[in-house]
This record gives sequence, C-alpha cells and structure tokens, in this order.
Amino acid sequence: MNENSYDAIVVGTGISGGWAAKELTEKGLKTLVLDRGRMVNHVADYPTATTDMWDFPYAGRATAEDLQRQETAARTGYAITQATKHWFVDDTEFPYTEVQRFDWIRGYHVGGRSIMWGRQSYRWSPMDFEANAKDGIAVDWPIRYDDVAPWYDHVESFIGVSGQNEGFAQLPDGKFLPPMEMNCVEKHFKQAVADKLGRQITIGRVAHLTAPLAHSPQRGTCQYRNMCIRGCPFGAYFSSNSSTLPAAEKTGNMTLRPNSIVYEIIYDEKQGRATGVRVMDAETRQTTDFFAKVIFLCASTFGSTHIMLSSTSSRFPNGFGNDSGELGCNIMDHHLDVGARAMVDGFEDKYYTGRRPNGIYIPRYRNVGKDKRDYLRGFGYQGGASRGGWTGLMLDETLGKELKERASQPGPWYMGVGGFGEILPYHENRVTLDRSRKDKFGMPVLSFNAVLRENELKMRKDMANDAAEMLEAAGYRNVRTYDRETGVGLGIHEMGTARMGRDPKTSVLDQFNRVHACKNVYVTDGSCMTSAACQNPSLTYMALTARAANHAVEELKKMNI
Amino acid sequence: MKPENLDMNMNRRQVLQRVAYLMGGVVSAPAVLGILNGCAPKQQEASWTPVFLTKEQGALVGEIAEIIIPRTDTPGAKDVGVPAFIDTMLKDVYTQEDRDRFVTGLQAFDDAARKAHGKAFVELSKGQQTELVQKANDEAVATELAYDPRPKDLKRPFILMTKELTLLGFFCSEPGATQVLQYVAIPGKFEACVPLAQAGNGKAWAQEAMGRF
Repeated sequence: MNENSYDAIVVGTGISGGWAAKELTEKGLKTLVLDRGRMVNHVADYPTATTDMWDFPYAGRATAEDLQRQETAARTGYAITQATKHWFVDDTEFPYTEVQRFDWIRGYHVGGRSIMWGRQSYRWSPMDFEANAKDGIAVDWPIRYDDVAPWYDHVESFIGVSGQNEGFAQLPDGKFLPPMEMNCVEKHFKQAVADKLGRQITIGRVAHLTAPLAHSPQRGTCQYRNMCIRGCPFGAYFSSNSSTLPAAEKTGNMTLRPNSIVYEIIYDEKQGRATGVRVMDAETRQTTDFFAKVIFLCASTFGSTHIMLSSTSSRFPNGFGNDSGELGCNIMDHHLDVGARAMVDGFEDKYYTGRRPNGIYIPRYRNVGKDKRDYLRGFGYQGGASRGGWTGLMLDETLGKELKERASQPGPWYMGVGGFGEILPYHENRVTLDRSRKDKFGMPVLSFNAVLRENELKMRKDMANDAAEMLEAAGYRNVRTYDRETGVGLGIHEMGTARMGRDPKTSVLDQFNRVHACKNVYVTDGSCMTSAACQNPSLTYMALTARAANHAVEELKKMNI
Repeated sequence: MKPENLDMNMNRRQVLQRVAYLMGGVVSAPAVLGILNGCAPKQQEASWTPVFLTKEQGALVGEIAEIIIPRTDTPGAKDVGVPAFIDTMLKDVYTQEDRDRFVTGLQAFDDAARKAHGKAFVELSKGQQTELVQKANDEAVATELAYDPRPKDLKRPFILMTKELTLLGFFCSEPGATQVLQYVAIPGKFEACVPLAQAGNGKAWAQEAMGRF
C-alpha cells in the first residue's frame, strides 16, 4: 500500500482543486491530485487558442451532431462551437436525469471549468454571510466575512484581479490590479444612473492581469483578444492550468494523475476516518485504491456530491457524511437571462479598439439599507455597451453594394444589462443518485429536481423592470426588457449540496469545510455553500479552499488528523 | 441583433438608400479582378460541386448570395465561397425540417421567377434577378419584424435563410472580415473611447456571430 500512499489527496483540478493542490504542496505535503478527465497542459493543449474565425468550419457553429451530443451545454448559447466544444461533456457518454429541466454544464479535463469560466471575481460582503441568520432561512453560516477576508486577500494577490476599489459596503474592496476602462457610453450610463437613481456602477472585477505579477512571471498581461474561453496562450487570465497547478508542480510535491475517476471514499470504521479513495482509470478501467492522511474533495458541487452519495457504508448508509440528510439538498445557482437593452444616440463619432473581456457591474441595491421589497435578497447586474455590426443588417432592406458599405461602418451603440439573482436554499431542490441509469463507466447517474420558486420569480420582475428603468433614466431609446425561460444550473454557479453549518444535525460540513462526521475529509467546492448571495462565487471557493488547506495542515501538525 | 434594434427613422433611411441605389443603376465592376485573384479564393463556380443541393439549386443559391453581397472593389459572396458554405451548412448544421423548408422555398422562388418572366431565375437578367431578390427579402423582413413577440422557434423562409447564411459565411471569411470589415488578431491593448477615425482604419470591427441574428 505504500506506493499508493500520500500525505494528501485532492479530487479535482478546477478552481478549487487547483487551489488545494497549490496550498497543500507549498506547505510541504506530498499530494496526489486526481482528475477524472484528460490532461490539459497550459498553452500546448489549447487547440483553438490562436485560430482565426475563418479557419473554423461552419463559421464556428455547432453541427447537428454536436448539438445532439452536447445538448445540455448548448443551452448556454455559447458553449458548443467549433472553437470551444472540446471543453464540454458529451451527454451521450455522461447523461443525467432531469425531473425538472436542469442545466448541468460540465467540463471533464484537467483544469475543469477554470478554463472556460467567466472570470468575474467578487467578494461576498458581511451582509451575505449574515443573511440566513437574519432572515431565518435554512441554517446560519458558521463563518463571517472577517473569517474569509484575509483569504480573499491571499487569493486575489496570487491570481491577479483587475478592478476598482469603490468602498461599497455590499461589495468589499480587494487587492486589485489596475481596472479596465469603461467606454464612453458606459461612463455616461454610470453617471446618469448615479445622478437619477442613486445606484452605483463599477467596472467588472476580473481575474485578468492588467499588470505583471512578480510571483508568476510565466503569465503575461491581457492582450484584449476576448477569446478567453478557448484557453489563453498568454496565461493572462487565471486558470488552474496557468496559475495554481504550475505553482504546485514547482514544489516537487505534486503527483498529478489525469484520467482518474474517483468513485468512492474509503472509510475505516474502526479508526472513524477516511483512509483514501477508490479510482477507476478512464483509459484502462482498472481500479486502484489510493491512501492519504487527509482528503480534499474539489470535484465541483455535483461531482463531489456524487462521490459522497456513492460512498455508502454501514456507518454512512445514506451517503458519506450524510447524518443530517442534507447531502444533495439545497441546490442553489444564480438565476439569469433577465434584463434589458436599449439603443444609445449621441456617440456616433466614438469607437474603441481591442476586445475587452469584461463589462460593467452593478452591485446589489435591493433589500440593502432602507430598501425593502416583497421578496428576500437581491441581484446584481453585468452588462456593457458596444456598437452593432453586420448582424444588424439581417432584418433590413439594404442589399448589394449598399449592404457592404453599411456593414463596413460601425453600427449604432447599444447598452444592455442582465441580472444575476440569488436563489434561496430550499431543502426540496435536490439531487439524488439514479441507480436505474449508468454512464459510460457503469456509474449510476445523478437525477436533478430543482426549480425557481416564488421568491425568485418575484425578484425577476424587478430584475427586468429595474434594468429598463436605468436605461430610460439614462435617456436611451427602444428600451426592451427580456425574461427568458431558464433552468436551474444555467448560471453555472451551482452550490449548496453539502452545506456548511454549525450543527451536524442540519449540515454536512463544519466551519473549516470538514465533514462533520469525518474530520479528515474537506469539501471546498461550491457544494459547501450555505447561501448563494448574488455575486459570482468562484473567488469565494478559492478563499475557502486556501483557508481549509491551511487548517488541514495545522491539524496534521497537531496530530489531530 | 434583434428586430427591436430597428426603428422607424432607420427603416425610412434604409428605404431611401435602397431606392437611390436602384435608380442610380447597378454597376458591377469586374475591373478589379486582377487584384482580387491575389487575395481572395478563386471563383468557385467552375470547381464547386454541391453535396446537399443539386447543381441547379446550388447555382440559384450562388446568384442570390452574390446579389446580397456582390463583388465590388472587395470580393463578393461567390469569391469567398459562400455558395459552398451554404451547401455545407445545410448538410451538417441544419435540421431535416430546415433543409426541407429551404428546398421547398427555393423551388417556390424559382417557380415565381418563371411565372413572372417565363424563365428560370438563373437565366434572367441581373436586373430582373435583383428585383426578385429584393422583393422577396423586403416581404420576409417585414413579416419577421411584425412579430410581437417573435416566436421562440422562428422558422425563417428560404430567402432569409439564404441571407443569414450569406452574411455569416461572408463576414466570417478572411476577405469579409479583413477587407470589408477590419480585424486584429492580437490587439494588445484596449482603448475604451477614441474618435472613430483613430479606431484602426475606422471601419467596423469584425465579429463572430454564434447565436441567431
């Protein structure tokens, strides 16, 4: 058993797993890092990173076969193209059951969704960690903002986040690289919305280098191509592949093993602790046990939950660490696809150069301070202004030479904002194992049953109306709202199925992301979240992971685990 | 872009432009051929063999595409391979239902040409062809703009399917993106707000279009 023994095992290499790998190896632990998918080497394995649009077949569009194989990811509208489809899971190999429509957008490869993520990086505020206690919803977070703040500093400094410090109470300042710039219409909008409605707007905070990072000389600065989702050959945005995994590799303490599907946590009842994990090799289908003193589950919210639900024993008949019955429950996400858009006059002589991979951000203002609505919590907006292009000539009478001439001129300015709304943690929104269906490797699949409920539906009315109100306040015309049908999961901010809490009877994890009932297993991806706030959650996963890794190492030193 | 992006003023301006264009006479300019052969794909008519469409259908689609985006001092739809692109898209990207609607619509379009002028569309004069394409386009555009709300699974008719694919294939081609529009692979910087003339050469930046437009 010695050759398969390590100090630590990390399951998953996405946003959270990369951070666990970096922190544990830098603190001296011999760490086995497992990912269920193929190896993706930074730059070398980004096959489309420098491909020009005319070199893709079908003008980059997905074929009918692509859409059949990757139907769930295609629900995003952007994931399945000839430039990006290789990052997303084939549903025919890895199906799941939808009791209600559920959009589970997955990437099975080293780096996970840190390659395709939106890179928006916001801190949660004190208000967010207090919300459940204040509203009497679900259970209280076992931690507060001050517990996480130093870890936000830590991860921001390492990954590089471009942004503007504003002093907003509901969106704390951070350790920022220089902000990207708003274009002239966005600046006009910001001023008008502040003057007329008293709402604040800031440039998006993104994990892009707008200045070099001394500690990561291998990473370059943003070149404004806005092709991030293909993988960045400059390493200009944060991904596990560009940032944390190279740092872990550098220590000499990491053993990275791709094609390693963890399907069970090995639990030793006599010792009352986990001793390792069972792995199926995705290429040979051979199974191997690996052992370690401490295990970090970072396999994504439903990935980790899947492993825990599958890890049954006489001690844990209902899933690993599931004494509370909350494992798989309380699915949260951010509901979106609701907002408004308008045309903007008066800036026809202005344009921009470069493709900024970022937009503007309007932090939450509903149910903040004296504002009170007929629903709980609130939403933020992301958006931006740009000039229309040739697509605007589709529904137009112009043809021929005139069409070419008009297409070569920049079109009208448009300004749009879309909401990201908080979803409350409902026990009934849950994922279970569907043992009647198996994936390519014979593993039972997950079954989702989650919906938006009254609180979210009321909030969506504000999300559309407020967006229109701001565009109208700025004097823009042809203001149109939209509120599209959406499934839970489409925000790709899934959270909550192994939540943290103070009481083992009502939560799965403790205040350090440890399984209440098994103190050497940490779960630090989105499954740990007790509420969802409305900010993009990845930065918080990173901070919680670094905090948990630090705790695990301290516990090991104290011989507590 | 969505239909709501168009307003009345703009439509009126477009109509006036179109009228001016038609009255002013359509002058095709083969004089630029020499330059074109250096930088654009060869004319495809001779070598191109359709896979999904018949040869006759392919020829008709090619003529319509060239009317939508003709060769001027820059390459046109045929120069950059739009007819073959449309054929490939129909075969690999579109559904059977879309394909059926396209072929049925194509046949109806050609039948209408025969009814009006007694000849197949491809045998008509350029002026007659342009008139038919313009009429079909304007009617289909008006119909789509009149939807409120627009149906979720909008089924565009033959003429607008052809137009959509022509625009997509042309403006995502290298000549379309770099000669009619402008494109810089690695901008290296972001200038948020500059006078139009200082934004590269002042032309519209090339852009991909992944969703419906």
